[in-house]
Amino acid sequence: MTSRMTHYLKGIGEDLRRDWQLYLLALPMIVWFLLFLYKPMEGLQIAFKDFSPFRGIAGSPWVGLENFRTLLEDQIFIRAFINTITISGLGLIFAFPVPIILALMFNELQNEFGRRFSQTIVYLPHFISVVIVAGIVINLLSPTTGVINLILSSLGFEPVYFLTQPEWFRSVFIGSNIWKEAGFESIVYLAAIAGVSPTLYESARVDGASRWQMIWRITLPCILPTIIIMLIIRIGNLVEVGFEYIILLYQPATYSTADVVSTYVYRTGLQGTQYDLATAAGLFNAVIAFALVFTANRISRKVSSTSLW
Amino acid sequence: MSAVELNDVVKRYGALEVVHSIDLSVVQGEFVVLVGPSGCGKSTTLRMVAGLEDISGGTISIGGRVVNRMAPKDRDVAMVFQNYALYPHLNVAENIAFGLRVRGEKNAVVEAAVSEAATILDLTPYLKRKPADLSGGQRQRVAMGRAIVRKPRVFLFDEPLSNLDAKLRTQMRAEIRRLHNRMGVTSIYVTHDQVEAMTLADRIVVMNSGRVEQVGSPMELFLNPANAFVASFLGSPPMNLLKATVTAANGAAVARIDGTDDNPAQLTLPAWSAAALDAGQRILVGLRPEHLEIETGTVADVQNIPTTVDLVEPLGSEALLHCRIAGQPVVAKVDTPSDVQKLAEVRQLLMPTDRLHIFDLETGRAVNGRS
Amino acid sequence: MRHFRKSLTLLATCAFLQVGTAHAQDASTKIVANPLELTIHFHFRDKYVYTENWPVEKKAAEWTGIHVKNVASLATSNSRDAFNLLMASGNLPDIVGGDVTGGLKDDFIRYGMEGAFQPLDDLIAEHAPNLKKFFDEHPVVRQTISAPDGHIYFIPYVPEGEYSRAWFIRKDWLEKLGLKEPGNVDELYTVLKAFREKDPNGNGKKDEVPYFAREPIEAVRLINMWDARVSGSERYGDFMVENGKIVHPWTTPNYKTGISKVAQWFKEGLIDTEIFTRGARDREYMLGNNIGGMTHDWFASTSNYTEALKDSVPGINFAPMLPPKTVSGKRFEDSRRATVQPAGWAISYSNKHPVETIKYFDFWFSEKGRILSNWGIEGVNYDMKDGKPLYKDSVLHNPKPVNAQMWEIGAGVPRGYWASYPSEEQWTNKMALDGIAMYKKEPGLLQPEFTGVSMDAKERATYDKYWPSLLTYMTEMQQTWVLGAQDVAASWDAYQARLEQLGLSKVIKVMQTAYDRQYGKN
Repeated sequence: MTSRMTHYLKGIGEDLRRDWQLYLLALPMIVWFLLFLYKPMEGLQIAFKDFSPFRGIAGSPWVGLENFRTLLEDQIFIRAFINTITISGLGLIFAFPVPIILALMFNELQNEFGRRFSQTIVYLPHFISVVIVAGIVINLLSPTTGVINLILSSLGFEPVYFLTQPEWFRSVFIGSNIWKEAGFESIVYLAAIAGVSPTLYESARVDGASRWQMIWRITLPCILPTIIIMLIIRIGNLVEVGFEYIILLYQPATYSTADVVSTYVYRTGLQGTQYDLATAAGLFNAVIAFALVFTANRISRKVSSTSLW
Repeated sequence: MSAVELNDVVKRYGALEVVHSIDLSVVQGEFVVLVGPSGCGKSTTLRMVAGLEDISGGTISIGGRVVNRMAPKDRDVAMVFQNYALYPHLNVAENIAFGLRVRGEKNAVVEAAVSEAATILDLTPYLKRKPADLSGGQRQRVAMGRAIVRKPRVFLFDEPLSNLDAKLRTQMRAEIRRLHNRMGVTSIYVTHDQVEAMTLADRIVVMNSGRVEQVGSPMELFLNPANAFVASFLGSPPMNLLKATVTAANGAAVARIDGTDDNPAQLTLPAWSAAALDAGQRILVGLRPEHLEIETGTVADVQNIPTTVDLVEPLGSEALLHCRIAGQPVVAKVDTPSDVQKLAEVRQLLMPTDRLHIFDLETGRAVNGRS
Repeated sequence: MRHFRKSLTLLATCAFLQVGTAHAQDASTKIVANPLELTIHFHFRDKYVYTENWPVEKKAAEWTGIHVKNVASLATSNSRDAFNLLMASGNLPDIVGGDVTGGLKDDFIRYGMEGAFQPLDDLIAEHAPNLKKFFDEHPVVRQTISAPDGHIYFIPYVPEGEYSRAWFIRKDWLEKLGLKEPGNVDELYTVLKAFREKDPNGNGKKDEVPYFAREPIEAVRLINMWDARVSGSERYGDFMVENGKIVHPWTTPNYKTGISKVAQWFKEGLIDTEIFTRGARDREYMLGNNIGGMTHDWFASTSNYTEALKDSVPGINFAPMLPPKTVSGKRFEDSRRATVQPAGWAISYSNKHPVETIKYFDFWFSEKGRILSNWGIEGVNYDMKDGKPLYKDSVLHNPKPVNAQMWEIGAGVPRGYWASYPSEEQWTNKMALDGIAMYKKEPGLLQPEFTGVSMDAKERATYDKYWPSLLTYMTEMQQTWVLGAQDVAASWDAYQARLEQLGLSKVIKVMQTAYDRQYGKN
């Protein structure tokens, strides 16, 4: 046993000596991982404690699963959780294909200037702060002065106070998110498309494929691995909806569809500085996200032999 | 009626003209090879025929129809690409079927065509494989399979063998020729490799800097190169070209080889050339390596040229001698004697006078009796 | 440990002796003969830290001999984070204080009971005559800041003055339409209706917004007209006390009536349709565009618009009015200034000079300290006239607001001090002053403030578990009703049942226990 151990260690030693330059290159990243990803995991125990910052993690008493019980017994949390999944799920269905479609459309643009121009224009919203985006959305949707409602009323419809109607929140949120992010997200797919050998298209042209056929039979299958990886990542974020933008857009009146886990945690945290509850909610999210990614990856590996790991 | 006809075809990128006025007529069932160094415009010309490049001037017609503004798919051509252009996500059968599928052919038709092509190309065992799991030669065959299922009027090959190793290349070369013999489809084939051109072509089109230098059967071009470029491009090793000046001696033309030697080498030029050359004219004297000898053979009219040997490259039954004549490099291809070492001591080369080629130094054009 | 205690006692004795000698030199203010430096962590309002170079602080150091040295870093722009980080580090300076989002009162009490801060009761009784006198005269303040264990752990920032907000109305519109100031609900309805329909701004469009508000707490303030209250304190959706019982205002029958009427008014267009999404600059928008008719907002700042907009909106007279009488014929004002701000400072467990520190805290409640903390430096910022401080003209006639000028020199900052209303009065405009006087004259206008309860750990756990979701749900339903998405009468019982399910009675119970302990049953 010991001799095998020493043999093993010796093997490592030899590896280190031989490839020390490589290990040296890897070192900063390893340190970064340990310091910023593994070390903070120590803090996860807060989820199982009645935490007081002054007492510290070690000094705070254990409470077992009490924090999780509090969460799961709270109907508002349950609703927030369901809302999170719903918003992400709908986002997945409606927002995920948009950058792909955009990338395909850019790819079809022949005029170099027109292409760059339109690309820049759709990238731009990504660089606008969510605060400003929220302001724009609120203005656009204002029932008295908003453009959308002016159009609606000129067409003879009643103005709609979108931001106070729960049934509209998801559309507004997902729609404006598409506007903001789709262009930027299309970069990944454009890069993937750029990686497709141009002779594939030339060959298809000679073989008689139409543009549409080339998109369906060449471009999409060729960037499928990229799409699947992005999809898996997206699924991993299914339980995650960033709170900044929601907080800027939602109203108590729309809580029933707009309140998500992160906003719930934000409000709870503000009320009582309840780090323990917030950590428990975060951990709960992380575990579910992990399970989702794991499953998605499994399925993808089986079905399309593309996988994240 | 010619199968493919190029009339005064020009290609320009902005102000830069890369193909200048090409005229070419390809006969039905003919195998034409466009050959030339990289950047000579041969691929561009082929792509204009395929419809992948716009034609800046002139006309191209296929089967009698002008196709200048016609989309590639309507030209009834099939093309094989250098990097095969196989679809990585499709298996061999679907790759071969692609051209038929996009044309909406019925399933049964497609399957029959694929299986026929696969049989011709020995691909039947691999039909379910993805391109990534195939060897280079197999991929090349799939690419050809994709072309032949379409049964096009014209095959276009764009350096299809360049990505293969030497052995496979030789093998595939033969297969392509066999395929052509069997199917008899008009083919235009682009390569930079003169051996491919010589072995495959019914007719070779030698191109250089966007121009056609000479068109003709392989042997015609080999024996009667129209200019120094064609002469040096065909044949392996290429023809030696020595710079020389014409002097007259005893009524016959004599070429004095340029050089700094104290005793400049001289070659008596063939009798027919005297009329075509002026004294003092600057010329290139062409000597095929395989025509140079080191021992007196059976040929009558042979001249001695003093030389020094730099290097000997034995190839087995033959050897290459890298020599200098009057300081200018010359390669000779000779039979290997029993003692290879002796070759290093060769002091003179023998040259049959009637095998000399003469080109004008300035224009590069061949000088011959007829002109 | 014993050694430590002994040295502490020794130090205290020494300090006491020093004070004795100092007393002989400077009768009023000297605390230590030799300068003593105390460390302080004081990050406030997300962008300031306590600064020893403030002229006010320099003067205090000169007078008391105690120099406070700030250790809080301006690297963070969030006072709450700065405070939390400090607590988590466990390494506390002599004094800890600040003014942060959500308030520090609960933190002072919670960490005080966990041992982070020293109880101040005995120190005050023995060494802080001014503080003792202040607490004796203001028992509510003492009750408000008391911990469940009966101790005081911090000295708060105590505001002065009663009225904060008032009803404002476009009196010029009233005149134009020939209406008198609304004195009761029905008249208010008539007025708002007229604002809506009779085009008081005269632009030919029906773009008038009769009632508007910029803060969530004001959006439903009109429920006052049906005797319902919006909050028991200045905090949004807070509890209130009725006959010694903790009640949430949004569960009462009056609220049911009030919110359904407000919903009806909203539907009729008397209340801004976008009232929940306007945001902080709503007054500029509504008044600047000459479309807003009435609001409920701060006296001082809202009074400025009539003057500021007189050129762009000719004839504007946006002035305070008394609260109209409610349906039951009462007249009341729902809001007021907080008795105690949840800001201030505390002495940390590691402070080796608690006696000097409490004396330093006490100094700010002395007359000299109070003037210093409110008015700044004599001769520079103010002069004494007839025994009263008055700002110099250079301060009053400065493009910068007076309070901003004071913050720059360290006056009016949220240390544990007692604000002086006269200092504010001097730069408040006449319209606001008249309004406040009008409100003051009306007897019984103010409603009792719920000053909060201090819960022990167990009570707090219950409160923390249920309260955030309760507030979420109540706010949600409030907007749902106002916007007309649900009918109040139809959903009221379900609302009550849901509140019960979400733990309302449990929260009320622990709060009641805490309240009885803190304020005594009476």
